[in-house]
Amino acid sequence: SGATKNVVAALPSALATARVIEDLDHISYPEGISSPKPELNTNSKKGKFRYDRDFLLQFMKVCTEKPDVPLDVIGLEAVGEQQHYPMTRTSSGRHRTSSTA
Amino acid sequence: IEVDMAAQAETLKTVFNDPKNFNVKHPLYSAWTLWFDSPATKGRNLPQTPVTANTRRAAAHGWMEDIKRVINIDSVEEFWGLYNNILPPSALPQKANYYLFKEGIIPAWEDEANKLGGKWSIQLPKEKNRRHVDTLWLYTMLAAIGETFDPYLTDPELLEPHPESLVTGVIVSSRPQFYRISIWTRSAPGINSEDDDKLRQRIEGIGRHFKTSVLGYNEGQKLAGPLATEVEFISHKDSEKKGKGRKITV
Repeated sequence: SGATKNVVAALPSALATARVIEDLDHISYPEGISSPKPELNTNSKKGKFRYDRDFLLQFMKVCTEKPDVPLDVIGLEAVGEQQHYPMTRTSSGRHRTSSTA
Repeated sequence: IEVDMAAQAETLKTVFNDPKNFNVKHPLYSAWTLWFDSPATKGRNLPQTPVTANTRRAAAHGWMEDIKRVINIDSVEEFWGLYNNILPPSALPQKANYYLFKEGIIPAWEDEANKLGGKWSIQLPKEKNRRHVDTLWLYTMLAAIGETFDPYLTDPELLEPHPESLVTGVIVSSRPQFYRISIWTRSAPGINSEDDDKLRQRIEGIGRHFKTSVLGYNEGQKLAGPLATEVEFISHKDSEKKGKGRKITV
């Protein structure tokens, strides 16, 4: 219902409240998720990390939350559902299908 | 309330552990700003950049009126939230550009961080690359935010704790006949003679990484053709000389 939607929207998202990782060694990823390549961060300062492409691509399917700013003409919804996720062949090869049946 | 550090460490949840209730996020080496322009944004959007007395910024101001600052991001999670909700380059209107630049650097050569620099770029014919360009742009952005472009920074022997990257931003341009992807750098060989060989090596390393790891070509592979260029570097100073500038290719 509309009321439920409003309540959900009012809650701060995990993204807004999550803290910044200060030490990658303190993080344990679930099975199947690889850590950033350690050689990129041999001398890293607190919170200053470099990440390889394979590590970063793992977030693609998980982090879909629309940012809380006006996206205007570049927003996906501005051009309709059929434009959703035109990529990619790069990860699993699966494409998100349109929710408008 | 006293926080038991050991207990707290055990409850660190990434977005992979709990997509809805994660409590830590992955910071980017630098914060970034996405900018956008197209004929549709001209004269319609004022930049949200604070107006300063800086004359170089003032010089860029006329042009900056046509470019829209979209968002600042400083975590991997935020990057993907943005990426998953905006158009890829192949779906952009004609004559549009995305600019992903480090926060505080405006995507113009007049900016202090860019004025002594240059750019690596490649131009790709539109027809052959319509599908491909989205992946190439994504990989370009990932190398930028992951800070893997600059080979100096990825040297495992590196002793400096937090060196400055040479990359200031990346751009994708959609034109009627072609796409162009560019990597902007803070410095360029031949501008200051000091340590020029070292700088040239570092700049060439960025170009090689761009050509082979990001774009997926072989080193030395010939790419120029109708509407296509090599992966080539030119300083902003030489760009102004209209065709007379020295180019580096990899």
